[in-house]
Amino acid sequence: MNFFEYFSKNISEIFSLLVEHIELTIIAVLFAIAIGVPLGILISRFSKTSKPVLAIANVIQAIPSLALLGFLIPLMGIGVIPAVFAVVLYSLLPIIKNTYIGISNVTPDTLEAAKGIGLNKAQVLFKIQIPLALPVIMGGIRIASVTAVGLMTIAAYIGAGGLGYLVFSGIQSVNTNQILAGAIPACILALFVDFILGLIEKLVTPKGFQKAKAKKHKPIFSEKFVRINERILLIVSTILIVTAFLFSPIKNALAGSYDITIGSKDFTEQKILGNLAADYIENKTDLKVKRKFGLGGTKVCFEALQNNDLDFYYDYSGTAYVSLLEHDPISDVDEVYETSKKEFKELYNIEVLSQTSFNNVYCFAVRSDTTEQYNLSKVSDLVGCASNLKGGFTFEFCNRDDGLSGIEAAYGFNIGSVSNQDGALRYVALANGNVDIIDAFSTDGLLKKYNLIVLKDDKSFFPPYYAMPLMRSETYAEHPELEGLLKTLGDYLTDDVMQELNYEVDEEEKSPETVAHDFLITSGLISA
Amino acid sequence: MIEIRHITKLFKNHRVIDDISLKVNDGEFMVLIGESGCGKTTTLRMINRLIEPTSGEILIDGENVADMDEVELRRGIGYVIQSMGLFPHMTVEENIMIIPALEKKGDKRWLHAKVMSLLEMVGLEKSYASRYPNELSGGQKQRVGIARAFANDPKIILMDEPFSALDPITRSDLQNQMLDLQSKAKKTIIFVTHDMDEAIKLADKICLLQDGKISQYGTPEEILRHPANAFASSFVGENRLWSSPEYIKVKDVMIKDPICIDPSTPGFKCLSLMMHKRVDSLLVVDPTNHHYLGIVKASHMRGIDDDTLPASSLMHKGKHILNEDDRIIKVLDIMNDHHRSSLPVVGNDGVLKGLLTRSGLVSILSAQYATHDPNNDKEDD
Repeated sequence: MNFFEYFSKNISEIFSLLVEHIELTIIAVLFAIAIGVPLGILISRFSKTSKPVLAIANVIQAIPSLALLGFLIPLMGIGVIPAVFAVVLYSLLPIIKNTYIGISNVTPDTLEAAKGIGLNKAQVLFKIQIPLALPVIMGGIRIASVTAVGLMTIAAYIGAGGLGYLVFSGIQSVNTNQILAGAIPACILALFVDFILGLIEKLVTPKGFQKAKAKKHKPIFSEKFVRINERILLIVSTILIVTAFLFSPIKNALAGSYDITIGSKDFTEQKILGNLAADYIENKTDLKVKRKFGLGGTKVCFEALQNNDLDFYYDYSGTAYVSLLEHDPISDVDEVYETSKKEFKELYNIEVLSQTSFNNVYCFAVRSDTTEQYNLSKVSDLVGCASNLKGGFTFEFCNRDDGLSGIEAAYGFNIGSVSNQDGALRYVALANGNVDIIDAFSTDGLLKKYNLIVLKDDKSFFPPYYAMPLMRSETYAEHPELEGLLKTLGDYLTDDVMQELNYEVDEEEKSPETVAHDFLITSGLISA
Repeated sequence: MIEIRHITKLFKNHRVIDDISLKVNDGEFMVLIGESGCGKTTTLRMINRLIEPTSGEILIDGENVADMDEVELRRGIGYVIQSMGLFPHMTVEENIMIIPALEKKGDKRWLHAKVMSLLEMVGLEKSYASRYPNELSGGQKQRVGIARAFANDPKIILMDEPFSALDPITRSDLQNQMLDLQSKAKKTIIFVTHDMDEAIKLADKICLLQDGKISQYGTPEEILRHPANAFASSFVGENRLWSSPEYIKVKDVMIKDPICIDPSTPGFKCLSLMMHKRVDSLLVVDPTNHHYLGIVKASHMRGIDDDTLPASSLMHKGKHILNEDDRIIKVLDIMNDHHRSSLPVVGNDGVLKGLLTRSGLVSILSAQYATHDPNNDKEDD
């Protein structure tokens, strides 16, 4: 499938994400203006405050965006509010700085004349300083807006939607078309925003400044003609934005009446699981389900669950046991499950429902030529040759006790060199021969896509990774019917089924929604 | 009337203004002058409270400015500054009418009509109303600045070196315009400058400041003629008087000890005296009280046969007798119009004070401009 086919097939999704993206950006920039401009004026009045305020804004600018989101999730949960909040913070610096510079660059003579002829402080500010500083302030807003368009892609990481959803999904499933479908509209949007704000900047520049410049070269169109056209453009874009807000998904989201919210992490299997659960529940009950899929990792989902932003999401028994409950990894399936169930209830007031049938366990994947070269079939075969291999592992795998360090100690080998590669990129690296061995999940569709060989964990080192719903106790009590429904669904999901569904999304570039829905119908779980 | 009473201003313990007191009467054009840093601008800006005095008070028509609302106060006082005083984002019309428009002094039509009359008053064409400051020359900007100062019909106008950034020709034009305006409008104007020529040209009163104190306060003539101290005379300059001919008087240029004779002196003796002293006229005075009686000129002696006749019968009384306070400009007119080469100068009491001769005038004036001493030859004409 080439890009244009993908684009035209998914045009409505792309468009609604674009609208969402525009809205999020506009809301963030408006807030940033509402905070930044008065703050800039304030620090120009009280010059002692200017250094600390600008320093703080600088520091905020320097915080990596994902780290900032990490701080915000425990405080604000997930969704639109923390996403907008983060982008507002990043947009403040150029607005505050330019407002400050614009206001303080009004010459003292002009100010003295204004004061001397009898303008009061407010009149000096609104009649003299702000009009004279407006082009500079608009310049700051323009920079902030263009940056905000780009930054807003992180919103998808915490379930606020926008074009970032396509970019993140595309990276997770090595779907270049999907990445482009998110990135190209974002670029065009940024250019468009720059252009429109450039026009506004020109319109607010006092005519007294413009004329002297304009005289140098003769314009092709008359000044009046250009000005009228600029105004028309601005009016049209204003109308477009207002229309977008009227038909907006955010408006629906804010006004929305949902009964439960289901979350998922940002990789393919999670999105399929989320969709399966959501569609199945909506079909079998009267509940309306809000879908917050593609959240950036275990931490984000679990925080969201604790903040009541989610009612449930699927996590994996090993992940829950080791990462969330901080136990040493063990391989006993029942003990992992029972301990988790008990401790989540006690520590977090969270119900762990019954496990699905598939075990998405960590595994090592290699190319077939590597298995031939070293005669590999199981993990213990690595003992002799591991030092010759280049590994590409996820950050999570490298950092977990039940990850790389654990298995190396258990089997007694050391991978020669290790690089960190996240998401599906490591599959590409493996297929391209940049690395020789990667960590994988046993149900990954990409294993099938790239024809990779999975090494058998012959010493049963890896803890079990059965998917299981983690649900808030209130939700569990309020909707007791969910437990049975999710168990029925879970029983259908075997290793083979899950790998097949993952393959359909990752290789055949179907959407998780479609794949989930089709499976529910073909398996007879719901009727068409 | 503006009355400044014992004002003092300290900036970080530095005494910028040190006990200044002065009065400016209604309709007076008062120029504050001095070297940079002498406190002239500070004094000006205390009148509209852009700067508050450390001590002392300023009264306008008996009311202490410190008790007035400062915005109200400033709107009642026109204010013109050197440069950048116009708001670059407003047209000339908006600049001029900003305060009347804020105060809603009239509707749009009234405001526009007012702008037109103000533009005319300062000698700008009406078409300038819609222009922006960056489309105007320096002189035009200052004209607009002056128009703005007049816009709210203030009684008082403060001007802070308004013309100092202009070229000499434009500056002179604007000074003339200002004189013309003031002769009609009769505002009370406080004008700061460091240019003595400008001060002499415009002022009714000059206040010379030195290191925050008043060095001398008086009319331009008083300051030119009687500098109160060494600073005043050095600031006024040795030759200042001679570049302001309207202030030169007969007594400045006359010969103070002309050759005098009794009325009884016989004619031949007069002639030999003229030859001996190389002059062409002798003054006849009353030997008892030195009252002027007449003048004997060489030209009068021609054709007189009897050279024993006394001077009293040879002399002429003369139609044009000068007073020592007469302005030199007027005297030059008389000399030119009546072809006089010399005129007697007599006091109000009739006593002879001196003699003004054309050649004496030339040599004295040239002494002011020449770098070396001119020779003192007095030639006959």
